[in-house]
Amino acid sequence: MKLIIFESDWWINLTPLSYTRPVFELRCGMYTLLERIVEKAKTRDITLFVRDYLFEYAKKNYQYAINTFSHADEDVLIVDGRFLVESDFAKDREAVYLCGDEIVYAFVKKQNAVKIEGKNLAEIIDFMKGLPHIQIDAKMMKFPWNLVHYNGEMIKKDFSHCGKKGIEGIFSPQATVKGPDDIYIAEGAEVHPFVVLDTSSGPIYIDKDVKIFPFSRIEGPCYIGSETHIMTGASIREGNTIGPVCRVGGEIEESIIQGYSNKYHDGFIGHAYIGEFVNLGALTTNSDLKNDYSSVSVYVNGKIVDTEDLKVGSFIGDHTKTSIGTLFNTGTSVGVMCNITAGGILPKFFPSFTWYVNNKFMKGFGLEMMLKTAKAAMERRKRVLSKEEEDVIRKVYELTADLRKAYIKKTSSIK
Amino acid sequence: MDRTEIEKKVKQVTAKVLGVDENSITSESRFVEDLGAESVQSLELVAAFEEAFDIEMEEDAALQVKTVGKAVEFISKYLNK
Repeated sequence: MKLIIFESDWWINLTPLSYTRPVFELRCGMYTLLERIVEKAKTRDITLFVRDYLFEYAKKNYQYAINTFSHADEDVLIVDGRFLVESDFAKDREAVYLCGDEIVYAFVKKQNAVKIEGKNLAEIIDFMKGLPHIQIDAKMMKFPWNLVHYNGEMIKKDFSHCGKKGIEGIFSPQATVKGPDDIYIAEGAEVHPFVVLDTSSGPIYIDKDVKIFPFSRIEGPCYIGSETHIMTGASIREGNTIGPVCRVGGEIEESIIQGYSNKYHDGFIGHAYIGEFVNLGALTTNSDLKNDYSSVSVYVNGKIVDTEDLKVGSFIGDHTKTSIGTLFNTGTSVGVMCNITAGGILPKFFPSFTWYVNNKFMKGFGLEMMLKTAKAAMERRKRVLSKEEEDVIRKVYELTADLRKAYIKKTSSIK
Repeated sequence: MDRTEIEKKVKQVTAKVLGVDENSITSESRFVEDLGAESVQSLELVAAFEEAFDIEMEEDAALQVKTVGKAVEFISKYLNK
């Protein structure tokens, strides 16, 4: 069987996180959405359909066909990359499986597969719409807070499914596990003295070469990605996924960090999704609950959306940096490559590439300087900003120009 | 807009952003040394000039401008484009 994973027009609602990556690269639980789909589809013959400006990026980062489906000589499974799949795909009959009016996936028999060969995504979607419709319940990630919402539950399921348990790394005799032995400590990982791993509410998976420094408490369900450091005295509360090569301290609860980001110091982050190469200055904190216990609204691509959820933190795009003492309001959305300094009550929306200084939006030192900083930050973690990644950032700069200008104008000094 | 008008507006904006007396600003005034602009205020000045003159400047080059007189020349180039 062949597998097609596509990005629908919904990608814009997963910004700021999806500006710089296909939606299926987003994490939930121990895996990305793509990894889940591939695992359930049980095939390695894969085609990805991504936005045009992510084409070169996808080509560089995946060994799969990109934006062209060919050799239609087998059954084909076509899946929306926002689908948080939990059980096997139905492959007994040719149909399109919908959740409400959203296509979740379609199964196409070999004899009809030729009809989508060489077609573009719009044509493939039209073809799927023509198949018999079957309604299903499906977890479709429509907004960033959906990923956060399901994260703890998915870590529990993933841990039990992955079948790994026990200690392959170094676990100090002075460290403690409180609760059942639902832990996995991978090879090369080190758990230092006076660390408490509390599995009372869920499992804890500590990946390769992670270091957990003394006096930290980690509560399950939790996944800590390879080469991440949990700093001394950290309180890693329930429901966190921390991607690879992060530095995390302070208090963090029910949040996802994509990877390569720093939240080194004290400060609380809760119900948040943080992108890559984000640096949160000491004491940066987000609110995730309103004082009147009403549902939290979030700006998505500049428009306000009611999350219908009481606990929602912040969503922070790649390469954004905050100053010491930055305090984010409940449900704040921060774009890509922003630079924010603390001061008064901060806005709930920061367009990408803005600097927020003295309570005003501005362009800061400009894109070229921001790229230079990004390269320096990546070099510190032995990563290189590839040409393809740089081109994506430049495209996002163009895409977000109007919103940025409008916000700069709104807080202009010379009104 | 002629040079006198541009200079007048540059002085007005500078006075407002940096909180200095407009009459104390001359063409030779240096933003940092004479008018006390901190690095953050330099960013604010660039944003304010763009807004006041309805132009978009190259940030790197704009931040290299040291005096009020040079700012007038720099902005004039954009207005004459």
